[in-house]
Amino acid sequence: MPTSLYRRHHAALCAAVFGIALTAAPALAEEIIIGAATAQTGGLAPYDQPALAGLRMALDELNAKGGLGGKYKVNLIIKDTRSDTAQTATVAQELIDAGAKIMITPCDADPSISAGQLTQPLGIPTLTLCGSAPVLTEAVGDVMFGTYPADNVQATAVADFAIAEGKKKVFLLTSPDATYTANLPEYFGKVFEKKGGTVVGRGTFTMGQPDFSAEITNIKGLADQPDLIMTAAYEPDFPAFIQQLRAAGVTIPVYGADAIGTPTIKGLGSLVDGVVFTAAGYAEPGSKLEAFNAAFAKHAGHAPESTYEVNGYEIGLILDEAVKTAGSDDPKAIRDAIANLKDFDGITGKITYAGTDRMPLRPVALMRYEGGEQKHVETVTPDAADVPAP
Amino acid sequence: MVAQQIINAVSLGGVYALLALGLAIVFSIVGLINFAHGELMTVSGYALLASLFLGFPFPAAVLVAVACGALAAVAMERVAFRPMRGASITSLLLTSFAVSSLLKVVFQNGVSARPQAIAMPSWMTGAFSLGDFTIGVGPTISIVVSVLALIALEVFLRRSVTGTAMRAAAEDFDVVRLLGIPASRIIATAFLLSGLLAGLAAMLWVAQRASVDPLMGFTPVLKAFIAAVVGGLGSLPGAVAGGFLLGVIEVFLQATLPAAAAPYRDAIVLSGVIAVLLVRPQGLIPAVRVQRS
Repeated sequence: MPTSLYRRHHAALCAAVFGIALTAAPALAEEIIIGAATAQTGGLAPYDQPALAGLRMALDELNAKGGLGGKYKVNLIIKDTRSDTAQTATVAQELIDAGAKIMITPCDADPSISAGQLTQPLGIPTLTLCGSAPVLTEAVGDVMFGTYPADNVQATAVADFAIAEGKKKVFLLTSPDATYTANLPEYFGKVFEKKGGTVVGRGTFTMGQPDFSAEITNIKGLADQPDLIMTAAYEPDFPAFIQQLRAAGVTIPVYGADAIGTPTIKGLGSLVDGVVFTAAGYAEPGSKLEAFNAAFAKHAGHAPESTYEVNGYEIGLILDEAVKTAGSDDPKAIRDAIANLKDFDGITGKITYAGTDRMPLRPVALMRYEGGEQKHVETVTPDAADVPAP
Repeated sequence: MVAQQIINAVSLGGVYALLALGLAIVFSIVGLINFAHGELMTVSGYALLASLFLGFPFPAAVLVAVACGALAAVAMERVAFRPMRGASITSLLLTSFAVSSLLKVVFQNGVSARPQAIAMPSWMTGAFSLGDFTIGVGPTISIVVSVLALIALEVFLRRSVTGTAMRAAAEDFDVVRLLGIPASRIIATAFLLSGLLAGLAAMLWVAQRASVDPLMGFTPVLKAFIAAVVGGLGSLPGAVAGGFLLGVIEVFLQATLPAAAAPYRDAIVLSGVIAVLLVRPQGLIPAVRVQRS
């Protein structure tokens, strides 16, 4: 993989140099290097790759129009983190050495923080592809930006929905192995309890754990039976959990968040009927997102798998807007421009960073699996007062 | 509830026992801990996916998948380990790591880094009631298959000529060769059996997890290794005992640990392993001829 990528970049670089030489334009196009430390292999690859595909599409389109802010041609350098936190820091350093002025990091808080430790002292704006833990930006500092709806926002949206449905008692299944799996269900629990529900039990799992039977037996043995199980487990743990839960004869509904909005989970068919999850947006007929999905399918040769693609695409748009506002390729100016973005018209809706801890304010789409399909329930922007603190 | 947890423990322990046995069979003959054993499961898992995709009925797909695991094991021996025969244990160990990494990357780049869903037939996700408690069909199949496989293996090793030769080879390979039994056949059979066991374990594993992914072999081979070491490296009864012990400890801890201590579960399991090895350094049921790698 690294070889072929290297070749590709090499080719792209040659083409760029050649292109400049050929056009010999009066205003010589300037180049800005964006470093993408993302997982091409390992557990995060299923999330990073779609998001990166969306970002690449945006950058290709922008480059065709002259680059970021119409001025700076993007040279995107992609390196594989192998879904490993330490490796993420290593490749982030390589990208910084290569001259990256903007850094893109994986879809998870922990590797994003490790990359952020390196970019923060240099003031290089750093955006996670779809890492959604709200502690992520605070853990690094003012250069770190989330792009996806934050975990506490997603959890609030799902909790509001569960309360509105009349759910009263929830069981929270968490894993201490990742910030996402550890905290999201707890945010849910906070909102749920504040709005009159109760948390009747908690359980944990180890990511990659083969067997959930003991935990499931604990759930079955609860004196106070829950009417909902909330978890942020994703693949391959989520399929394992729900398979074993249903196999043990437990029919309690299971709700999750954005990480289970994937073709793998959809492929589980009737097993996941009724599972509610979140997405960054929903392609209503005539919406910008529907148009994007069509354009992406043409660009990539396949339809988007999830809303990670459009989220990645929006990162490109955000960067373009920020460079336009900054009027330069100075990392600090770009950072300030992103931090002050307000009501920016994205594809899925309005995106605001101004006044936040650099986790964007944006709408959340609630979805439900029904008969092997993803059905849209509603799109909401939770009340900021309801969203629990990170 | 207690009865239910016992079923859980036996079901998980059975899968671990199958895996550990696969490692132990090869180790007892060749002295190699095959860390690519987990990738045999991955091969079986993807073979199941492919067969179902091609429209095979479920039982046929399972047979194809198990057979693929066995064939892959034989091929692995032929391609990677036979040229290394006579090499040091360390070289063999490194070779097995290389094979493992290679296959992982092949699946990641050749198929997809994303787990692929395998929808199990609905009867397998069902449950039936027995007296007061419900028993899942999945765990039941798991227990039945592991027990049958263990019995079949025992019969093969006790009653067939090749099986007897294999048991003899585990004790003293050189004498077996002096008696005119070809070494290659015994080694190939050992790999074939380990592949069959990996294939069966993979089916039970996939049935519990409903998806296959390129890295799915990692955790099982680790568990199998722990089970095999606890049981006594190279000892077949030891591998089975170690597998069940590991399953019981894991389920017991998962069921009883308070939430605050839950993150330390794996640490506690491994501490237990160290404790067992301190008391019985050769494992629970040591092999007749102890080899160390």
